[in-house]
Amino acid sequence: MIIMNEQEKILTEKESLDLITQMINKAKDACHDTGIAAIMWGAVIAICSLVRLSELHFGYRLPFDIYLLTIVAVIPQIYFTIKEKKQRKVKTYDDGFMDSLWMGFGICIFLMIYTTSAMYSQWDPAADEYRKLTGNAYPFRLYEFTSPLFLMLYGLPTFVTGVSMKFKPMLWGGLLCWVSCLVTIYTPIKIDLILVALSSIFAWLVPGIIMEKDYRKAKSELAQANV
Amino acid sequence: MTNENFTPEQSLQLIRSMISKTKQNMSDNSIYFLVWGWLTFIACTAQFVLKNIFQYEKHYLVWTVIIIGVAFSIYQGRKEGTSVKAKTYVDENMKHLWAGMAISFFVLGMILTRLGWGTVIFPFFIMLYGLGTFVSGNFIQFRPLIIGGIIAWALAIGSTFVNYDYQMLFGAGAILISYIIPAHMLRYRNKIAND
Repeated sequence: MIIMNEQEKILTEKESLDLITQMINKAKDACHDTGIAAIMWGAVIAICSLVRLSELHFGYRLPFDIYLLTIVAVIPQIYFTIKEKKQRKVKTYDDGFMDSLWMGFGICIFLMIYTTSAMYSQWDPAADEYRKLTGNAYPFRLYEFTSPLFLMLYGLPTFVTGVSMKFKPMLWGGLLCWVSCLVTIYTPIKIDLILVALSSIFAWLVPGIIMEKDYRKAKSELAQANV
Repeated sequence: MTNENFTPEQSLQLIRSMISKTKQNMSDNSIYFLVWGWLTFIACTAQFVLKNIFQYEKHYLVWTVIIIGVAFSIYQGRKEGTSVKAKTYVDENMKHLWAGMAISFFVLGMILTRLGWGTVIFPFFIMLYGLGTFVSGNFIQFRPLIIGGIIAWALAIGSTFVNYDYQMLFGAGAILISYIIPAHMLRYRNKIAND
């Protein structure tokens, strides 16, 4: 479905056919153009989770928080988005849907980070108080419950993209995020981190590689056809 | 669809019919926003009243009203499924988005069953309300839904500064601004357009 630019002008016969041809070519480029962003985010989240796991398991601490990598990754993401918008000649309804879905997801990730941080600050004094009064460690550790919250959010746009674009690797990836989410409710932090890494690999990294491969193949076929 | 060749007139007709179908279908989904919006709004405010004014212990039982919403959605979905109305990308994508939202709400419910329903839960729900309406509003190009979604996110942040009891009111406010008001506006706008 086409979003008409600014005003709904009357198309000539040639323009209408050109438009349809453009849309078909666009559709051939498959799932939301390239898979670069999906590859990057899949790799970044997997690396962050696995590095944090190794910190916990081997008892060392990096001089910086590894999750800062997710903030650094926003810079190439902005570059990819601007580049894609410049290259995009025809905006389909699917493009508009995907753009707003992933933009909303990005905003929600920031909200989730803020909310869980706010919860930490509320819980920590209670945990300290409990430790002082009883001499035992606080039985409830909030950080073990942040992984399921993030996995719940990862699953949503991934699943919706997979179903809407009829792209099964992402559909299964989204479902894996939700299944991992339910499992991590009951597992300790180390298992949570493994499941987050696995989910990001199967929800974003692997589908991203498939998308990029398909995109490059379609592009070269199109270039050959135009020669 | 068969691989027949379209004449230029047919191709133009196809584009026009898709645009008009999309515009018409924008209003059809508002019934879901209204039913779910009012049910959730009633539950949030009723829970606040029961807990804080009547000091009723089992105040959370008001949330059983969502059964009505589930029953309605199944009934309406089946009714629409059997009608001959042509499906557009808008219908399909909206269906996928809200199916994903429903699963997310369920999964969030499971997390909170373990985390504790009496803790900080409303910011997460309000955040999800905002996501659904923001994406829907952008997709159907209806500004009140977009603004409603953004305000819901602001309320999610605001609700972290108050205790559980007042978070309920933030939830009710988010529902009113992001679901109920835009849904009524959408229906009104399309009623005028149809008249």
